Amino acid sequence: MNDGRKQSHATRLTRWLVGGPPLLFLLLLVAVPGAIMVLASFRYPGEFGGLAPLFADAQTLHGVTTETYRFFFSDFIYTEVFLKSFGMALATTLICLVMAYPLAMLIARSPKRNRNLMMLLVILPFTSNFLIGIYAWMIILGPQAALNHAINALLGAFGAAPVQLLFSPFAVLIVMVYVYLPFMVLPLYTNLEKHDPLLLDAAQDLGANAWQRFWRVTFPLSRPGIFAGCALVFIPAIGMFLVPELVGGTGDIMIGNLIKEQFLATRDWPFGSTLAILLTLAVLLVLWIVAKLSARGGRYA
Amino acid sequence: MKTPQQNRFSHRGHRAHRENRCPLYCRRVLCGLCVLCGLWFGLSPFSAYAEDILHLYNWNNYISDTTISRFEDECKCRVIQDYYSDNEEMLAKLAAGATGYDIIVPTGNAVEALVRQHALRPLDKSLLPNLKNIDPAYLNTWFDPGNKYSVPYAYTITLIGYNSEKLRGLDLPLDSWAAIFEPRYLEKVKGRVTVLDSQRELLAAALKYLGYSVNDTDEGHWRQARDLIIRAKPYWAAFNASSYIKELTVGNIWLVHGYSNDIFQADQDAQKARRGFRIRANLPKEGAVLALDSMVLHKSGPRPDLAHRFISFMLDGRNSSELTNLIGSGNPNRAAQPYILPEIADNPSVFPNHEQQARLEMLRDLDRNQRRVLSRIWTEIKLR
Repeated sequence: MNDGRKQSHATRLTRWLVGGPPLLFLLLLVAVPGAIMVLASFRYPGEFGGLAPLFADAQTLHGVTTETYRFFFSDFIYTEVFLKSFGMALATTLICLVMAYPLAMLIARSPKRNRNLMMLLVILPFTSNFLIGIYAWMIILGPQAALNHAINALLGAFGAAPVQLLFSPFAVLIVMVYVYLPFMVLPLYTNLEKHDPLLLDAAQDLGANAWQRFWRVTFPLSRPGIFAGCALVFIPAIGMFLVPELVGGTGDIMIGNLIKEQFLATRDWPFGSTLAILLTLAVLLVLWIVAKLSARGGRYA
Repeated sequence: MKTPQQNRFSHRGHRAHRENRCPLYCRRVLCGLCVLCGLWFGLSPFSAYAEDILHLYNWNNYISDTTISRFEDECKCRVIQDYYSDNEEMLAKLAAGATGYDIIVPTGNAVEALVRQHALRPLDKSLLPNLKNIDPAYLNTWFDPGNKYSVPYAYTITLIGYNSEKLRGLDLPLDSWAAIFEPRYLEKVKGRVTVLDSQRELLAAALKYLGYSVNDTDEGHWRQARDLIIRAKPYWAAFNASSYIKELTVGNIWLVHGYSNDIFQADQDAQKARRGFRIRANLPKEGAVLALDSMVLHKSGPRPDLAHRFISFMLDGRNSSELTNLIGSGNPNRAAQPYILPEIADNPSVFPNHEQQARLEMLRDLDRNQRRVLSRIWTEIKLR
């Protein structure tokens, strides 16, 4: 008995030693800034940026307020920006999924010695700053580039008006997919790689054709990978501000741009914090809904 | 005397010493590290000038390297530069508690904000005999009456830039903001136009075109400007504040609302690359925004003496002219004129004549409510 207690003591210590640093990390770098943000959202903006004081004399604006939340909900325009960003992030996620799934499957089913090389190629874009990649896309999509000439020649043959690729929602989507594709491939691959090929053989023996084998065996089993990949793409994609700023046209504003603007151009920290909090809540809501749905879907499989 | 880094370092070492109850060897390692750090700072090759460092917080690419090294030779000191690309960025960093800058080079409205925050050190004009070189038109401005805190450094004008070849024969009124805002002209250059991605600058251009002041804060006028912008927007390629220089140089974009020094740089790049066209700039007849950047002394700067020497040095004609020759910025220093390359000196969009000068306005800071209203309008502009 004494021995057992000693052991549990040791396990507890190990648990703390292992779990402590990440916990501390999360507390310091996620919880504390999050709390600061929540507090900031209930303050007035300072005249020169920052926040208005909590306590001051009667002449200066001070104290606590919910005005930023009221301002957000007072008209539909900010909700519209949210919806637009959601649409953009959703489109990015779906395109990534459609492109990454066959790729991940191909890698998972290729001979073992080739897999590492193939995965290396997938994560190769990470070795250079993605900003450089974006600038490369700006050249590829530019009106002087061969791609745009070819597309416009094709459109011209059908009598359609020429289009411009750069500075358009299309360019934003392409570059977002470029940036986030590896984040979709990686979890899908890790999941698909673990599938037991015997399951597929069994399904075949039971008379399932290729489509049924995929749809009723591989796909349901890969659901956790899909969920992880979609979360990894969707969450950062919705907050993206750099891509719309660099390759977007005159109408491509996303919630990230709006938040960045509150801090750097408008010097309105409280409203920027409010936007960031509402974004976090909205993303959590979406994740919760998706998790619920996928749990229900899982029961059928 | 200790440098701030040294102080911070030894402080940290000290605290580790006291709080960490670590075994002896660990303390030894820490002590060793402290000693090593001390040695590093003490024996580094710069130790001879350890006390003579000027911290300059400046715009990106806003001083010539030759000028810096000449100043370092003259004052036997070292200049450490830190950069910003936006006034708001600089103000935000200072608001977040950044310190130790001797000299900052903000634009007028940011100078005003710093003055009102009591963040600046008054100038000692007895140390600045060359202040007389500055054109009086740029002295005694609203943001610093009597120049108690600021000395004009350089200025840019927000104007119309265009590709000389691509727009030939299109018959656009390039001397007016109409070229940027009127659909009947814009349809000839659809998708070849960018405007600045800046709330204040774009609104200012629209207000000027409508006949108002750039500092008009009437919401009705703002809404008029918003409608003008939304009407013109479908013809523009993008809101762009950075890559339009490259796009102009390459010939993708033909007409821009941009800063005079950016347009100058695009022209230089186009010439260097032998593109066969020039990028020209025009000052619209309705008037435009003038951004006057001034040298100011931040209160947190440890070396006001060096800062005054630097300002005095930059008031010298030749030193001041080097920036203009490098980036094509406007120069408020009359003594610099003889050293400025003739093609820049004769360029009316860099050095406007008196009549044009009268139509230029400097942006004033908005209060927090106005900023929020403007941001709301800007979101609407972006979304529609």
